[in-house]
Amino acid sequence: MLSLVHRTIASLAGRLATLALVLAGLWALWEGYRALWERAGWTKPFPVDSTTMPHLHDIVRRLFEPIREGEPLLARYMLDAALFTAQEAATGFAIGATIGFLLGAAIARFDVLQRGVMPYIVASQTIPILAVAPIVVVGLGNVSIGGWVPKDWMRVAVIAAYLTFFPVTVNTVRGLRSADPAAVELMESYAASEWAVFWKLRVPAAMPFLFSAFKVAATASVVGAVIGELPSSIQSGLGGWIINFNQYYVLEPENLWAVNLVAALLGISFFLVVVGVERLVVRRPPEQLT
Amino acid sequence: MTIVFAVGLVSWQWVLPFLGVERYLLPPLTDVLEALWDARSELLRGARITFSEAIGGFVIGCSVAFACALGLARWRPLGNALMPYMVAANAVPIVAFAPITNAWFGTLSPWSKVVIAAILCFFPVLVNTLRGLTSVRPEALELMRSYAAPQRVVFRRVRIPNSLPFVLSALKIASVLAMIGAVVGDYFGGSTEALGVMIVSSVSLAQYETAWAAILVASVLGIAFYGAVALVERLVLGWHPSIRAGVE
Repeated sequence: MLSLVHRTIASLAGRLATLALVLAGLWALWEGYRALWERAGWTKPFPVDSTTMPHLHDIVRRLFEPIREGEPLLARYMLDAALFTAQEAATGFAIGATIGFLLGAAIARFDVLQRGVMPYIVASQTIPILAVAPIVVVGLGNVSIGGWVPKDWMRVAVIAAYLTFFPVTVNTVRGLRSADPAAVELMESYAASEWAVFWKLRVPAAMPFLFSAFKVAATASVVGAVIGELPSSIQSGLGGWIINFNQYYVLEPENLWAVNLVAALLGISFFLVVVGVERLVVRRPPEQLT
Repeated sequence: MTIVFAVGLVSWQWVLPFLGVERYLLPPLTDVLEALWDARSELLRGARITFSEAIGGFVIGCSVAFACALGLARWRPLGNALMPYMVAANAVPIVAFAPITNAWFGTLSPWSKVVIAAILCFFPVLVNTLRGLTSVRPEALELMRSYAAPQRVVFRRVRIPNSLPFVLSALKIASVLAMIGAVVGDYFGGSTEALGVMIVSSVSLAQYETAWAAILVASVLGIAFYGAVALVERLVLGWHPSIRAGVE
């Protein structure tokens, strides 16, 4: 028992040490590149100065400075914007994953759908779906359903849902079909209902596939939310701040870097949440745990 | 399959307008085709610009990633330690960094989009290649060791051939990402002739037919790019059981 605790602490310490090393390495790369290019005066691939590559500590420090004289910290605004974008992304993710799972289950069940629809779903993953984002977000702004107009963040959530939907559908089909045929036969020989086979056998078999789709979709939904905010100039989210700070980049480059840093953290945290849930839900043989 | 395609086209043309889907969401097919024809010279030029940005990013990103993967596979502890970070880096919304590359290279420069496309391609190719290079059968490595083969030979004879299926499936993902990077990078500003800028500016001018025509062109390019990589996969991996069995 005690040794287990020791081992857990040791592995945690090891991980933290690696994290610190990786961060230090990134910092050294960045500052080293900066110093070398500045000293040598190289202008290829781009001229290096504190506008193009601000010091990393300046970027982080900017987050903890007031946005303007006498106003709250930039980090406060970034937190609000990140929550707003996270709401768009999470709503979209939930809707897209639900629809994707239902459609995937239908496709896995009915061969007609498999042959008729599946090729198009796979093919549609090869087109730049984000290209449609401006039209959907701006177009939905003109829609009213019985006098009810979708709110800004809902229109962006549609983009996130759209991006989530494709990988989840494809992997649901693959996963549900990956159930061991011998096990299916065994259950059928017990006269198990199709419903029972679905829940007790197919869904558990599909879990690893589903989660690898969720990991892709978690990232995609954040990207979709950030990009979706651009064309309709929604100000409250990270995308809006990116556009805003982009206009004043020459004056305060640290601002744009800071908001991008927050966007990166948001994407990584979405991904980590899915990884965490996967650890809890999916039981794998130990040799596949990596 | 063709039936579904036909049904899709028919419902695009007639059923959607009938259901009251407004033209600002999806104009009838014939209107889009008309806009496609009317704007053909602009679209062609935009397609050339955007596609060359995508290809440039793809080539740069994939080759740098492959080289890095070789290095990390050679020094396994480094690769193992960095792997989770590379996977997590995949979760960063990289297209959102397009304004920064715009500031580096100038908004009108194609290089800002090339770099975004390259970074987008970099991580999936790196992660998949590293997996391919390291998931080698232990017997194969033991055999090479019993021949006293140097690392260079182990890579040439065992690791690289073993990684090819992984690399090629990553290249397929990268082809899609490169197109996305080239198109979406434009949303933060770019040459007015590029496809992404055409999409955004036609939407803001309420020229939805032209916007859809540009999206159609981008989609066809995306599918063609993916198809080309898939074809290369078939040619290169014709010997591999997964291809011969017709499994994806």
